[in-house]
Amino acid sequence: MSPEFYAGLILLLIGTFVCAFPRDREYLTRIINLEIPAFGLLLVALSFDETLALLTFIAVSTLTTFVLVLLVERRMTA
Amino acid sequence: MNILLLIIICIITLIGAVYAGYVRDPYAKLIGIGVIGGGVMPLIIARGYADVAAALAVIIPLSTVFVLQLCRKGEP
Repeated sequence: MSPEFYAGLILLLIGTFVCAFPRDREYLTRIINLEIPAFGLLLVALSFDETLALLTFIAVSTLTTFVLVLLVERRMTA
Repeated sequence: MNILLLIIICIITLIGAVYAGYVRDPYAKLIGIGVIGGGVMPLIIARGYADVAAALAVIIPLSTVFVLQLCRKGEP
């Protein structure tokens, strides 16, 4: 397989571990850490030549971040 | 030669991931995410997906802006 497949898998592992057991137990840290496995999944989809999956996943990942930021913002003010 | 270049870019991506996961400051974490983006972009270009790269170039900073909004609000 191509090197980006393995890099994506390692990125997925690192990101999942870091997101599950962060050093600071805050929402902001977890949201930022959640972007690391997203990039890993992006690289895996890239290695399988799935253009539509790539585009959709990028858009939905940003949308998820936006929704999570809105939610945490509301929770911090309340 | 080409595979060597790909491996170096993959190593850059992994360094960015380890840094973004290890460091505690949220701003430094965002810089690590930027390093990951800088590593992912040449990999997409090397595969020939210029349209995906164009979409990614718009969307990665957008995501950073959203998180940055929360960063500023979290400070006392």
